[in-house]
Amino acid sequence: MPDTLKFDAIVVGGGPSGLASAIIMARAGLKVVLFERGRFAGSKNLFGGVLYTSAIQEILPGFMAKNPPFERPVTEQGYWLLSPDSVVRMMHRSEQYKVEPAAAYTGLRARFDEWFARQAVAEGALVIAKTAVIDVLRDNRDRVIGVRTDRPDGDVYAPVTILSEGVNNLLTQKLGLAQGDLPPRLVALSVKEVIGLPQATIEQRFGLTGLKEGVAIDLFGDATLGLPGTAFLYSNKTSISIGVGMLLEMFVEHRLRPHEVLARFKAHPAIRPLLAGGESLEYGAHLIPEFGYDRMPKLYADGVMVAGDAAGMVDAMHREGTNLAMMAGKFAAEAAIEAHSSKDFSARHLQAYRDKLEASFVMKDLKQYRRMTDFLDGTPHFMKTYVDFVNDAAMRYFNAHDMPKRDMEKDIVRSLGKRRSFLGVAQDVMRLMRGMGL
Amino acid sequence: MAIHIVVAIKQVPDTSNVRINPETGTLIREGVPSILNPYEVHALELAVRLKELHGGTVTVLTMGPPAAAEALRECVEQGADRGILISDRKFAAADTLATSYVLATAIQALDAELPVDLLLFGKQAIDGDTAQVGPGVATRMDVPVLSCAIKVERFDPVARTAVIHRRVARGIEVVNVRLPVLLTVEKEIAAVQRAPLANMLRAVNFQPELWSASAPVAFDPAQIGIKGSPTIVGAAHTPSLKKAGERVTANPGAPAEAVAAALAARPHGGGSCLDHHSGGTPGEAEVSPKIIVWGVCRSPYD
Ligand SMILES: Cc1cc2nc3c(=O)[nH]c(=O)nc-3n(C[C@H](O)[C@H](O)[C@H](O)COP(=O)(O)OP(=O)(O)OC[C@H]3O[C@@H](n4cnc5c(N)ncnc54)[C@H](O)[C@@H]3O)c2cc1C
Repeated sequence: MPDTLKFDAIVVGGGPSGLASAIIMARAGLKVVLFERGRFAGSKNLFGGVLYTSAIQEILPGFMAKNPPFERPVTEQGYWLLSPDSVVRMMHRSEQYKVEPAAAYTGLRARFDEWFARQAVAEGALVIAKTAVIDVLRDNRDRVIGVRTDRPDGDVYAPVTILSEGVNNLLTQKLGLAQGDLPPRLVALSVKEVIGLPQATIEQRFGLTGLKEGVAIDLFGDATLGLPGTAFLYSNKTSISIGVGMLLEMFVEHRLRPHEVLARFKAHPAIRPLLAGGESLEYGAHLIPEFGYDRMPKLYADGVMVAGDAAGMVDAMHREGTNLAMMAGKFAAEAAIEAHSSKDFSARHLQAYRDKLEASFVMKDLKQYRRMTDFLDGTPHFMKTYVDFVNDAAMRYFNAHDMPKRDMEKDIVRSLGKRRSFLGVAQDVMRLMRGMGL
Repeated sequence: MAIHIVVAIKQVPDTSNVRINPETGTLIREGVPSILNPYEVHALELAVRLKELHGGTVTVLTMGPPAAAEALRECVEQGADRGILISDRKFAAADTLATSYVLATAIQALDAELPVDLLLFGKQAIDGDTAQVGPGVATRMDVPVLSCAIKVERFDPVARTAVIHRRVARGIEVVNVRLPVLLTVEKEIAAVQRAPLANMLRAVNFQPELWSASAPVAFDPAQIGIKGSPTIVGAAHTPSLKKAGERVTANPGAPAEAVAAALAARPHGGGSCLDHHSGGTPGEAEVSPKIIVWGVCRSPYD
């Protein structure tokens, strides 16, 4: 086998986790090759999205000097609770958000991943785009020794491989680290559109002054027809990212077409004026893993580790994924570097990867929200009941009705009672607390 | 016998993605991805296939902005050995005359280093559609040119001849030609194959050789860039969609009357098309085979 096909480490996938691991390993002097099946890293990727600088800083200290292609810092964020004709907004805005670098920035993955890949190249990794990995190579003791790409003479070898292949984790499944195909109960499907608008229009509609301010809004309730799911609305420089996602199972069960759910959401009276006159620039759909801590794939085996979405490392509660992916990529890279210095690539040795994850917020958060999917699954009425109730309550609370306030308050309580029995409410609260790991 | 093939390429905006500013008639290039001109993808492929057969070197050449290095990298991925980027502010705003001067001069320099057996160009660039640069280079270099080549039937570097098929208006012309020859190629010239992994690994660190207006070749300042470009674009307009033709059914005894009547029914029928001039038979027009009526078809490009 020619030396040009031998590496110290192979990475599959040019998303946040794969690129983070390539950066860390290349910086440590390992000969790293990363394969990305898209035309370039990011070309196939889509997220909400909000990028978190704490994780980027871990991978690329001083990253601000490298001109990351962020859109706007998130200086205002929160939740909108939509009923069919109303909205309750819970927004948080603070001067503290305005220090640079901000904790979070909105972004577009085609640009961000492409930039992140350039950083990996600068650190010395070989980033090979337009090339998909179609299989994992194993020796007769089942140790992973390389991968097979979809190109002629396409086998490459390395003592350690990191699978950062994203939610559609075919290779992870092939290795038997994940059990079978993704069940529709354990993945969410999200559709997203990027809508172009002039900078000034965006700033006027969202109450922003200049490019140093931006909003990130997550929406619940009518956005997903009251079904468990979320929608988002994020401001970019000259566009708005808008999308809606639900468990795949919900689309199937209620015979909903994803694009129709998005179209319906966009037509909501609280949303439509924000988008008026915009031009659709991009449209896409993507899965989000909702495996939960207890159903994560096995994270390592002889000569291989699984990181990021491929391993289900998403905290849907806080729309965090890229940061978990980057941290996992970093931990996997560190385990690979240690394996190289001790020349031991066995599963026993790569356990260090899992240990690092367990010690970090990544696994701690995933563990805390381990029952979130079960909660949504077991309480499908939750969003509709409470979001509509909150809007209803607000309507009563904020208006003069020529009635004593005490009666108004009783009315509010009664309106909840009409929606759900006292016992039901108590049960929902209990379930929610369990879902949140409280 | 090892051969030397030079492929001239152009990086173009992906016109399948492009919009046209209706007021100025110019392309809106902003945000449009750049690609390797599709015809050159196939030209390069032919070069690589011939190299595999005979051994030798494929040199790729482009005059363009620094970003065109990416198009050269793609050529290296597909199997080119050497990539040269001729890039200098002084070349800016070149028309086809200035461009063919620069490319011809550069290829002459390459030829002095290692004699060139075959020069390959795309049939035309999808952003300009002039199809003038290849023939312009051939004329300056005094080599034969065959445009619209669709097949290399034989390529014999020892006897220094080749048999080339080219598409012409009325069919296919098979030409026996001496080497070196310059071909401008259609997409059929060679099917694109998936590049082997080794090429990808080699291309990833590829940096083109950078040629400026003065080194390693000193181009004549009067013949390059805007100075060397006499073309003036008077106006540009967006072509309107060509409407589908109409079929005129005529009495076999009196076809001309039917045609005349059909034309009379269209007072501004200057562009109406009774039969598309495809170079073959007059289609399905139901007229007597002895009387052939050609309509005038205006191409959206003329
Ligand atoms: C609608 C939506 C909104 C989101 N919003 C946010 C947000 O606001 N903030 C946030 O932090 N996270 C968000 N996420 C989650 C986040 O996008 C993911 O968690 C993150 O991208 C995971 O990174 P990754 O590197 O593991 O996988 P990915 O980003 O999916 O990257 C995987 C890469 O591998 C490539 N690939 C896959 N298979 C192969 C193969 N066989 N060979 C070669 N290449 C391959 C793919 O092309 C892709 O580039 C959102 C996700 C979605 C879908």
